[in-house]
Amino acid sequence: MPSDLRGLADIDRLIHEPARLALAAILSVVESADFLYLQRETGLTKGNLSSHLAKLEEAGYIAIEKTYRGRIPLTLVRLTDAGAAAYRAYRARFKKFLEKTG
Amino acid sequence: MVDIEKIEKRTVQYFYSDGLTEIAVGLIFLLLGGYFFGQTLVPEGSPFNAALSALFVLVIVSAGFLVNRFIRFFKRRITYARTGYVAYKKKEHGPKRRVAAGIVGGIIGASLAALYGLSPSFKALFPALNGLLLAVAVLLIAIKVGLVRFYVLAAASAVIGFAVTAAGVGDVKGISLYYGLFGAAVTLSGLASLVVYLRKSARADRENPDAV
Repeated sequence: MPSDLRGLADIDRLIHEPARLALAAILSVVESADFLYLQRETGLTKGNLSSHLAKLEEAGYIAIEKTYRGRIPLTLVRLTDAGAAAYRAYRARFKKFLEKTG
Repeated sequence: MVDIEKIEKRTVQYFYSDGLTEIAVGLIFLLLGGYFFGQTLVPEGSPFNAALSALFVLVIVSAGFLVNRFIRFFKRRITYARTGYVAYKKKEHGPKRRVAAGIVGGIIGASLAALYGLSPSFKALFPALNGLLLAVAVLLIAIKVGLVRFYVLAAASAVIGFAVTAAGVGDVKGISLYYGLFGAAVTLSGLASLVVYLRKSARADRENPDAV
């Protein structure tokens, strides 16, 4: 495998998927965001978003908290320390790859 | 391909997308304008004038408190129900940064006091100085969030400050006019943003709660 592509092969595929990458990018700059915000920003259906969030949660990259604001149910999502580290590593690795390949 | 930087920036900008912060801050500036205008109405040296001066700290503290309350109250009713809730990271400034901010603030305050001591006519420049200081503050926010309307507001602050000074309306009256005009500009900018936001976003159906 060419050395240029070797860096890409090591990339975190869980985050590399576009919808999950968008979710990680959003969550990287906030403390937490609710389901509605994530859905509107990513343009995913409820089912799709739930599925991607479940995968990220399973990997320990995000934490999901179900709570209430008044009588309104609220699903809050936040990036865990492991998720933040994985996102930072992905970002750095991908940037390096893009720089190498021009 | 996913544009990570664009997504990150848009998330940061989301806080200002509804214009509520500008409306709240603009109203506070209008209140300040009213306060300073009130000072011009009462004779200097009168007990009422002294009471008004003493009230200044209370005005500033309660204004800060009201801004937070206002923003939270309306975001809950307008923004979160339509486009979702986002909690932003609270920046914890280290002691070095706090000391640096204190030193900068001290230098600015001491310079103003010294200039005022050297020449009382320096008071006439207060609106321009206020305009410049707030222009810098708004410019820093504009650079951080990358919203064009904040660059416009920063320029407006400087222009209004200099225009009021050039008009020679006096120090306290000038400050009052500056805060009145800039407050109106900020409030209008916020209202325009709110109208655009409301047109763009429909209220979400909260009766069918999300499920993960």
